[in-house]
Amino acid sequence: MNRITKMLIAVSLPALLLANISLAAETGSALKNDSMRFEPFSDAKLTGSFTRGESLEIIKKQGAWLQVKTKKSAGWVRLLSVKRGASSSTGNQTSGVLAAASGRAGTGQVVSTTGIRGLSEQDLKAAKFNETEVKTLESYTLSADQGKQFATAGKLKTIAFANLKAPQGDAK
Amino acid sequence: MNISAPVLKTHKSLLISALLVSLFGTLSFNSAAFDFEGAIKDTVKDAVKKQIDPQAESASTTVPATENTTAATEPAFNWKNPSKDEEIALGREISGNLLGAAPLVKDAALQKYVNSVGRWVASQSERPDLPWRFGVIESDDLNAFAAPGGYVMVTKGLYRKLTNEAQLAGVLGHEIGHIVKKHQLKVLQKQQLLNFGAGLLSDKYAKDNKLVSKAIGSGAEISARSLDKSAEYEADRLGVSYATRAGYEPFGLADVLQTLGQTSKNDGSVALLFKTHPLPDERLAALGDAVGSKLDNIKNGKTLENRFYVLKN
Repeated sequence: MNRITKMLIAVSLPALLLANISLAAETGSALKNDSMRFEPFSDAKLTGSFTRGESLEIIKKQGAWLQVKTKKSAGWVRLLSVKRGASSSTGNQTSGVLAAASGRAGTGQVVSTTGIRGLSEQDLKAAKFNETEVKTLESYTLSADQGKQFATAGKLKTIAFANLKAPQGDAK
Repeated sequence: MNISAPVLKTHKSLLISALLVSLFGTLSFNSAAFDFEGAIKDTVKDAVKKQIDPQAESASTTVPATENTTAATEPAFNWKNPSKDEEIALGREISGNLLGAAPLVKDAALQKYVNSVGRWVASQSERPDLPWRFGVIESDDLNAFAAPGGYVMVTKGLYRKLTNEAQLAGVLGHEIGHIVKKHQLKVLQKQQLLNFGAGLLSDKYAKDNKLVSKAIGSGAEISARSLDKSAEYEADRLGVSYATRAGYEPFGLADVLQTLGQTSKNDGSVALLFKTHPLPDERLAALGDAVGSKLDNIKNGKTLENRFYVLKN
């Protein structure tokens, strides 16, 4: 039974994901100012633009692109320009920070009262080196060859791709 | 592995506090980090005390720490330029402490799966020669950790949020990036240099220990902070790069950041993380700036949800 359940989950997951991607009317918001294009290509003609924080409707995903709709226009945009999920207006950034900041004092309590399995400061300070656990961890160490076999089994193929660099003139 | 256990033991408290700054950005050591400043101060104070007064237990006089006594109390470990073995020994100590707080999930198939994915991604990094090891640990926090020398751990809470192998590859790739760039090691080294500095300072300030530890406490705090943000962005870029080279769909890490971005800000498992690290939205935007058009032509990257290991509970 268990195995069947697992199989069902394994089978339905991709379907669920696909559904997620292709379902119309997923909401989102712009992470930055960007322009939309007629097709999912960087040289396709422009159809409009949006500003950071603006609400969007996500229509579908294709490779590195999302097809989106704003109140004024529609088009394709690179997916890293869009925050997926419930609309967050421009004010969200601030309120998020404030919410997190105000949660700070309570953090310790929240963790201890909800029974989240412990990584509190006290736990950490009191933590004792656990030789048995480290040895268990190390017992799982695989060789590069074993990693390669695993990749082959999943039909993963390496491709040439240079490490991404920080954008120029960006302190980030 | 030339370091004897006792030597490392003297660093244990230091290691613990270093752990606080070595976390995956999204994935900060939640409740632990909230008194980060205090923890650092305590630790540094202890370390400074040892430096200033290495014979405190046998002698009541304050012995100024000369370079000789420093060498005598801190032998064997080459802090200026640690060897690979030293780096691994350090990471082992940090990982052992972390595992003392949150043990491995008792599921060999899970651990084996995570090691398979991690090893393959690590092979695409600049340091394929390290003995990479990966673990899922018992915690409901959303977090992941890297320690020098190739130790990577992901919480069960974070693993539970993943839905395919490309996302796991992205998360592990981020941690691998921290190790390749020696982000944690550099924090530790900086802290040690400050300790050595304290030893030298003690000649002048031996009578006012408070002054010394105060100065060092705030100094270490600032450098840890400023390193943090840029290190996280860098690890994000590397995580995407490694996973992409490994043949995965390049946006796995971005998926996870989207998920984290949708997690309620009031959720205890992420509240602190959002405070101490760049918000997921900022990380996504920064990643977008770095990616530009570079991923437009990457096709056929795999997500492999069909073989993604689903947790039993």
